[in-house]
Amino acid sequence: MNNGLKAGLVLLILGIICGTLLATVNYLTADYIAANEAGAQFNALKEFYFDVEDDNYDSYELTDLYGLEKRDLEDDTVDSIFILRNKDNNDIEALGYLVSANGYSGDAPIQMLIVVNSDMTIQGYSVVSHKETTGFGADIVSNDFNIDIISDLSGFDSVSGVTFTSDGILECFNIVSQRANGDFGGGLDD
Amino acid sequence: MTKKENLLKGFVKENPLFVSVLGMCPSLAVTTSLENAIGMGIGVFFVLVLSNLIISLIMSNEKLAELVKPVRIPVYIVVIATLVTIVEMFMHAFLYDLYLSLGVFIPLIVVNCIILGRAEAFASSNKPVDSVLDGVGMALGFTGAIAIISIFREFLGAGSITIWGSLSINLSFIFDFLGMEPIAMFVQPVGAFLSFGLILAGITAIGNKRAEKLAKGVKANG
Repeated sequence: MNNGLKAGLVLLILGIICGTLLATVNYLTADYIAANEAGAQFNALKEFYFDVEDDNYDSYELTDLYGLEKRDLEDDTVDSIFILRNKDNNDIEALGYLVSANGYSGDAPIQMLIVVNSDMTIQGYSVVSHKETTGFGADIVSNDFNIDIISDLSGFDSVSGVTFTSDGILECFNIVSQRANGDFGGGLDD
Repeated sequence: MTKKENLLKGFVKENPLFVSVLGMCPSLAVTTSLENAIGMGIGVFFVLVLSNLIISLIMSNEKLAELVKPVRIPVYIVVIATLVTIVEMFMHAFLYDLYLSLGVFIPLIVVNCIILGRAEAFASSNKPVDSVLDGVGMALGFTGAIAIISIFREFLGAGSITIWGSLSINLSFIFDFLGMEPIAMFVQPVGAFLSFGLILAGITAIGNKRAEKLAKGVKANG
């Protein structure tokens, strides 16, 4: 048999074995990975309403305060919206946007959770997942970007030295800024 | 070479980082804290030991080795990439905080020169047991080396040493005693190169002293 063909066959067989192995591991871990991702999103949301330093933090439930609904969107930029309704009158009190934008790492976007109150003030924001460079772009996750109202992003403070990551974060705010008003005005009922 | 020598050579004598200077990129990038270094070490340990074992098993079978030899480098890469992806999936599922902390450096283990280097230089021409011992020794040597760099950097740069999660040693009282702040530069990229250079210079100086002593001993004995 031709040597090139032999080499190709060796690689094909190895690829099939490795692919099967990866599919098996994926099958075994997919549920745990999804649970971790969902847990990170809910924890980020919870942090905005309860004091993390509080000894009873773990016992607080967000759903005790709000009627909480997660709506996944078929959108390139907004992955999901958490709708927090006042339990007494069913009005939307706040919206938590799970948005994605590209930072420095091209293969994985920065995913942020930005929670906006009905008066357009920002309750909080957090980077839920990213693959920016460890110890460099990643330091930006705990940064204060100086934004208090979603309709006014003019005061955005980017961080020098991590331009692409800062741009990605600003883009996340922009996405929310463009749609928050409409969503509170009944856009989510469509 | 005995099995014990196979295991121990990676610790000091052939340490992949301080002697062979391999796998520098991820090593310098993740050594901002001891926790990151330990996490990276765990990942490299599993990948290196398993890749050495699998490649040695393939290459110790004469017929299989003959088939694989012309395409051995792509074969090594496929094996290593599969193992790294498995490690990444397991970390994502069961060590989520560490997975977030190591970020892009988990997939980059695929192109870590130590793993490909050991596959080509050792595992491809040695028995499976010896290859596993070599992998264990090299991975522990690598982990020890990045742990040393991270302790050096984190102590000087942040005044503390993060062992795992919330478990950390606060050493800021040393800086208080000296009347100065931690030198933040050491946890930045420039500090990585500086720390590595200083540690390497220290190790070389110790090695030179020992060689000098040894040479004097040989001369004195005639």
